[in-house]
Amino acid sequence: MEFLSLLDITFFLLAGFGALVGIIFGAIPGMTATMAVAVCLPLTYALGLHHGLALLLGLYVGGISGGMVPAVLLNIPGTPSSITTTFDGYPMARKGEGEKALKVCVIASVVGGLVSAAVLFLFAPMLADFSIKFSYVEKFLIILLALSVIASLSSSMLIGIFSGVIGIWLSLIGDYSISDGGNGKTRLMFDFMEPYLFEGFSLLPVLIGIFGISTILLEAEKGVKSDTANERIKIGKGSHFSLSIFKGRMTNLMRSSFIGTFVGMLPGVGGSAASVLAYTQEKNLARDSSEMGKGAPQGLIASESANNALTGGALIPLLSLGIPGDSTTAVLIGAFTLQGIQVGPLFIPENPETWYVMMTALVFANIVMFFLMFYAIKHIAKVVMVPKHILYPIIVMMCVVGAYAINYGIMFDVWTLLIFGILGYLVQKVGLEVAPLIIGFILGSQAEIYFVKSLESFGTFSIFFTKSPIAVVLWLLILASVIFSIVMGFKSRAREKMELTQISGSTQTDSGKRHDTNSR
Amino acid sequence: MESGLSSLLSVSIDFETSHLFFPRIIHWTLAGLFAVILVTRVLPFLAAVTRGERTLPIVGERMDGLRFFGTLALIVAYFYLMTVVGDIFPYTGYGFLFVSMAFVFLMSLMYMHEWTKKSVTIVVINAVVAPSLAWYVLAKLFTITLP
Repeated sequence: MEFLSLLDITFFLLAGFGALVGIIFGAIPGMTATMAVAVCLPLTYALGLHHGLALLLGLYVGGISGGMVPAVLLNIPGTPSSITTTFDGYPMARKGEGEKALKVCVIASVVGGLVSAAVLFLFAPMLADFSIKFSYVEKFLIILLALSVIASLSSSMLIGIFSGVIGIWLSLIGDYSISDGGNGKTRLMFDFMEPYLFEGFSLLPVLIGIFGISTILLEAEKGVKSDTANERIKIGKGSHFSLSIFKGRMTNLMRSSFIGTFVGMLPGVGGSAASVLAYTQEKNLARDSSEMGKGAPQGLIASESANNALTGGALIPLLSLGIPGDSTTAVLIGAFTLQGIQVGPLFIPENPETWYVMMTALVFANIVMFFLMFYAIKHIAKVVMVPKHILYPIIVMMCVVGAYAINYGIMFDVWTLLIFGILGYLVQKVGLEVAPLIIGFILGSQAEIYFVKSLESFGTFSIFFTKSPIAVVLWLLILASVIFSIVMGFKSRAREKMELTQISGSTQTDSGKRHDTNSR
Repeated sequence: MESGLSSLLSVSIDFETSHLFFPRIIHWTLAGLFAVILVTRVLPFLAAVTRGERTLPIVGERMDGLRFFGTLALIVAYFYLMTVVGDIFPYTGYGFLFVSMAFVFLMSLMYMHEWTKKSVTIVVINAVVAPSLAWYVLAKLFTITLP
C-alpha cells in the first residue's frame, strides 16, 4: 500500500482535468484521443511520472469516450473507434432521442472501461502470455477475421469486401518498410510521388479526410440547409432515459466489454476493430437484431462498451511486452521514454508503485468521465449545437491542425485530407461502404507483413490452416461470419419480396427508392 | 496425390520482389470482385438507368453547385495560401492564423442562407475569435507546429 503515499490532490485533479480535455478533444470531429495525448505529452515532462500518467490516462479515457458525442449527434465518429456508434446513435438523435442515446453510451462506456481495467489488473500476465503466442499466421488470420466481420456488417457482403480490399490497396501505397522486414522498395505509385508518399498516406489525415471533409462535401452538395441544422443536432430533451434500457442487455454489455478488452490486447489490432467486432457479434447473437442500424440502444451498448474496454486491453501488451495495442498507447510509450522507463516484461515486477498508480488513474479517469458526461452531457453536446455555417468552417480548420501537427508539420498530410475527403465523397456516392474501406486501410499494411512473412518462413499456403489449433478456430470464425452474412442476405431478400407482394399498390419508383436506401 | 497438393500450395518469395507479392494478390482480388460487381450490380443498374427508372449518381442528381464547388475551391485556396503566407512568417503559425480567419469568414458566409445584420456579426466575431483561440491554445500554450 506504499503507492497510496504517491497519490495527492494534484494527482486526482490532473486525472479529472485530463478526462475533461479528452472528452472535448474527442467530441470535436477530427480531434482524437491520440491527438489529445500527443498534445499534452510535453506537459508530462514538467509534471513528473506519476502526475504525468494521471493526465495521460485521463486524456486517453476521455478522448475515447468523447467520440460518442459527434457520432450520435452529427454522424461523424469523433474518434475512429466510434464508427459503429454512428450506426444506431445518429438514427436515435434524428428521432429526438439524442440525450437518451448519449446516456446509454456513457453507461456502456464506463462499464466497458471498468471491466477492462479489472481484466488488466487481474489477468495482465496471463492474457499477455496468450497473445504473445500468436505468430504472424494467427495475426494475419485475426486481421482476415476482422475484415470478414466488417464486410458481413455491410448491407451487401460483396460490396463490403470490395470496399475493404480497396482500403487494403490504398494502405499498400508507399514502401514495403524495412523496419517491418520488407525490402524498402516502393510500389503502386509513380516516381515523382516518392518524396510525398514514400511511407504511404498517414492514417490520421486519411481518417479525418474521409470522415470530416467528405461529410462537409456531402452537406455542401445538399446546400447546407439551415432548417435541417436545428433538426439534425437536436439532443432531444423530451426523450426519457431510464436504466431499464439495460434490462436484458447485460450479456451484450459484458460480452462487448470483453471483446473490446481482448481486441485491444492484440498488438496493432486496436481501434475500430473492437467496436466493429462487438457490434457484429451483437447483431449475430441477439434475439432480435432487426432494429440495429436504425436506432437500437443495443448497438450503442455494444459499440461504446467495446471501444472503452480498449483502454484497459491496449495497456496489457504495452505494459507486459512493450508493444502498443493502438496508436494512443504508441504515444504513451513516448511518455515512458521521456521519464526514462522501459516498458516490457520486467516493467510491472520492477515498478509495482507505478503499476498501482496507473491502475488508480485509469479507474478514477473512468469515474470522472462518467460523472462529467452523464450530468453535463447537455453542456458538452453544445459543442455540436452550433449552427452549421459556424461549425463547419471550424471543423475544416481543426481538421487542418490535426492533420498538420500529427507528424509535426507536414503539408502533404493536409492535402491528404482533401484527397481522401473527395475519395470518401465519391465512394459514398457510388454506393460503396466507407467503414470496410477504412478498416482495410488501417489493417492492410500489417496484413501484408504477416502474410508475406508467414509464407517466407514456411514456404506453403497450407500453413494458414495447419499452424495451430488457434488458426483452425479463427478459420471457423471467419467461415461463420461469411455464412451468417449469406444467410442474412437471403432472409432479408425474402422479407423484401414478401413486403413487395403485400404492398401491391406501390409503384415501381417506390420500390426503386426502397432498394436505393437498402443498398446504402 | 498429397505431394501434388503440397507442391501446388508451396510458394517461394524472392526478397527483391517481395514488395510486389501481396499487392499482386490484392490486384487480382480487386479485379475479380469488380467483375462480379459489374455483372451483378452495375449492369442491371445501368439497364435501369436507360429505362429511366433510376438516375446516375452525382451527374444525374440535383446538387447545390455553388456551395459544393465553392467548398472545394475554398478548401484548395485555404490549403495553398496557408503555406504561402506561412512561408512569409516562418515558425509563427501566422499563416494558419490569418488564412484561417479569411477561410472561416468566407465559408460561413457561403453556407449562410439568410444574411441578417445579427448573423453576419456573429460570423465576423467567430471568424476572428475561433482561429485566434485555436492558434493561441495550440501554437502558444501547447507549442504545436502550425503552418
